[in-house]
Amino acid sequence: MNDPTNVKLRLSNSELWGGLIGLALGGFVIWSGLKLKLGTINDPGSGYVLFYTGILMCVFAGAIIVSAVTEGGPTLASRWEDMRWSKPLLLIACLTAFSFALEPLGFLLSSIPLMLLLLRLIDPVRWTLAVPIAVLVPSGMWWVLKRLLLIQLPSGLFGIG
Amino acid sequence: MDTLVNVAHGFGVALLPINLLYCFIGVFIGTLVGVLPGIGPISAMSLLLPVTLSGTPESGIIMMAGIYYGSMYGGSTTSILVNIPGEAASVVTCIDGHQMAKQGRAGPALGIAAFGSFAAGTFALVALMLVAPKLASIAIAFGPAEYFSLMVLGLVVLTFLTQGSMPKALLMACIGVVLGLVGLDSITAQPRLTFGRMELIDGIGLVPVVMGLFGVAEVLLNTEQAIKRDIINTKITHLLPSREDWKASAGPVGRGTILGFFLGILPGGGAVVASFASYALEKRLSKTPERFGHGAIEGVAGPESANNAAAGGAFIPLMTLGIPPNVVMALLLGAFVIHGLQPGPLLITQNPGLFWGIVASMYIGNVMLLILNLPMIGMWVQLLKLPYNILFPLIILFTILGVYCSSNNVFDVYVMIAFGIIGYFMRKLGYEPAPLVLAFVLGPMMENNLRKSLILSQGDLWTFVQRPISGACLVLALVLLTAPLLPSLRKKRELVALDEGA
Repeated sequence: MNDPTNVKLRLSNSELWGGLIGLALGGFVIWSGLKLKLGTINDPGSGYVLFYTGILMCVFAGAIIVSAVTEGGPTLASRWEDMRWSKPLLLIACLTAFSFALEPLGFLLSSIPLMLLLLRLIDPVRWTLAVPIAVLVPSGMWWVLKRLLLIQLPSGLFGIG
Repeated sequence: MDTLVNVAHGFGVALLPINLLYCFIGVFIGTLVGVLPGIGPISAMSLLLPVTLSGTPESGIIMMAGIYYGSMYGGSTTSILVNIPGEAASVVTCIDGHQMAKQGRAGPALGIAAFGSFAAGTFALVALMLVAPKLASIAIAFGPAEYFSLMVLGLVVLTFLTQGSMPKALLMACIGVVLGLVGLDSITAQPRLTFGRMELIDGIGLVPVVMGLFGVAEVLLNTEQAIKRDIINTKITHLLPSREDWKASAGPVGRGTILGFFLGILPGGGAVVASFASYALEKRLSKTPERFGHGAIEGVAGPESANNAAAGGAFIPLMTLGIPPNVVMALLLGAFVIHGLQPGPLLITQNPGLFWGIVASMYIGNVMLLILNLPMIGMWVQLLKLPYNILFPLIILFTILGVYCSSNNVFDVYVMIAFGIIGYFMRKLGYEPAPLVLAFVLGPMMENNLRKSLILSQGDLWTFVQRPISGACLVLALVLLTAPLLPSLRKKRELVALDEGA
C-alpha cells in the first residue's frame, strides 16, 4: 500500500528540500573559496579549505537528493503531523519581534512583554501568576546584573534599564 | 609516587572553598538538568559557559565538568520514576528501571544506579590519573598531520554514530567547519565570510551557536507537544540494594565500567553509546535474558555504570591531545579557550594545578553526587513536578541574558535566535546539530593543521598516509565512511546511533 506521507519526486518531499538547500549552500561556499583565492598545494590560501569543504557539501547534498528521489522521503506536512505546530511558530514570531525591539526599547521594555507572551502562549499560565513572573524575573535579573555584577544591559532610546 | 604527589596537589586546589562551591554548583545543576527531561547537559553547559568568565579557570572548568558527570547521575532518576530519559545517556535505564519502579522497587533501582555510577566514576578518575600523563607524553611527538587526521576521525566517528542518514550528518559537519572558518584567516589575516560586518571579524561565537542550537531549539521542539509525566507516586524506600541485588549487579557494574571507560575515550563515542553497548552486553551474557525489559536490576546497573565511566574517559582526549571527543567536551574546550588556555599534551606539565585540580574535584564531585542523589532523592522527585510552561520561558530569558553577558554584544543575541530557529527546522528535517557543533570547534584547528602539514611537506599529500598514527586514523575514518554502504553494517549503525551526540 502506498504511504501518502512518503513521496519521491514531488515538491512536498522534505528530504529533497533539505538536499537542495545543502547544494545551494555548498555552491556558495565553493564560490566564496574561489573568491578568497585557493593558493597552491605547497602554500594553501585563505579559500583552500572552504573550496574543498564546499565540494564535499555538494557531494553529500547530492547523495541526500539522490536518496530522496529514489527512496522517497516524508512530506513537509507529515513532519508536523499531530504536533502543536502553532506553538513553535508563535515562539519564533515572539523571538523575532524581541530581536527587533531589544536595541530600540532596551532590555527591560522588551523582555517583560516577551516573558508575558511566552508564559501565556506556550501552555497558558494564569494571569495572576504570569504577570508577576513576567515583571519580577526580568527586573530581578536586570538588578542583579546591573547593580551587583556591573553589567550594562541595553537601555534603548528611552534610557530605561 | 609522582602521581600521588600530583593528586595531593590536585586535592589542595580542589578543596579550596571557592572551588568546592563551584563543584557543588556544577554537580547540583548537572543533577537538575539530568532530572528535568528536555534539558540536557549540552544546553546547561552552553547556558553557563559565560558564567565561567567570572571566576578562575579552575573554578569555571570544575563547574562545567560537574554539570556533565552530574547529569549522568540525575538522568537515571527521571528514567526510573517517570519513564522519560532525563538525558540521552539514560534512555536504556527507562527499560528496566521504570519496570522496577512499577513493581515497587524504585528504591533499589535508584540505589544501584547511584552506587554503580559512583564506582564507575571513581574507576574512570583513577584511570584518567594513570593514563592521561602517559598519553600526553606520547602526544608531544604528534605533528600537524596526526592532529588533522585525529580530528577527521573524531568527526567521522561522531557522524557515524549520529541518528539518521550519514550524508546528512556529514553535511552538518561540513557546515560546522565553514561556520568555524568565519572571521579573519589566522595565517593571512584575510576576512572570510564576514559580509562586511565588523561583529564577524572575530568569527561567530561558540556560546550563541550552541545556546541557539541546543537551548532555544530544544524549547521550540518541546513546545510542540504537551509533556505528559507519569510519576511514580509511592514512597521511595530501601535505597540500599539487598545482598541479592548487589550479587546480581556486581558483574554488570564492573563490565559496564570498563566498557564505558574505553568507549568514552574514543573520539565521537561517549556516554550514550556506552550505555546502549552495556545493556546489549548484559542481555547477551545473562542466563535469563527474558527478564530484561521486565525489571532486571542488571539492566540498570550496567548502563548507568557505563555512562558514568564514559563521562570520565571522555576527558582523556581533551586533556591530553586537546581534541574534544564529543560536543560536551567541545564546550569544555570552549571554557578553556575563554580563559586563554589550550588543553593538550603540555597542559599537564605547564599547568599541573589546573589538570590535577580538575581531576581531584571530579572525585569530590562524585561523593557530592552520591549524597545529592540518595538522601535527597525526595527533592528531585518534587522538582519533576515543576511546570514546563513556566520553565521554558525562563530558559529563553536565561539564554538571552547568558549570550549577552558573554560578549556584551546585542549581535550575539541575534545570532543565537537565528541559530535557534535554524536548529529547530534542522531537527524537524532530521539533521542533528551535534556534528555541526563539534566541527565548528574543530574546523579552525583542522584547517590550521592541514595547511601547516601541507606547507611542511611541500604539498606532499602522502605525508598523511605515511605517518603511522595519521595513516591509521584516516584508514579507520574511510572504513567508517564506507561502512553504511554494506547493509549489515548499516543495521548495526542504526542500532548504536545516538540522539544528541552527547
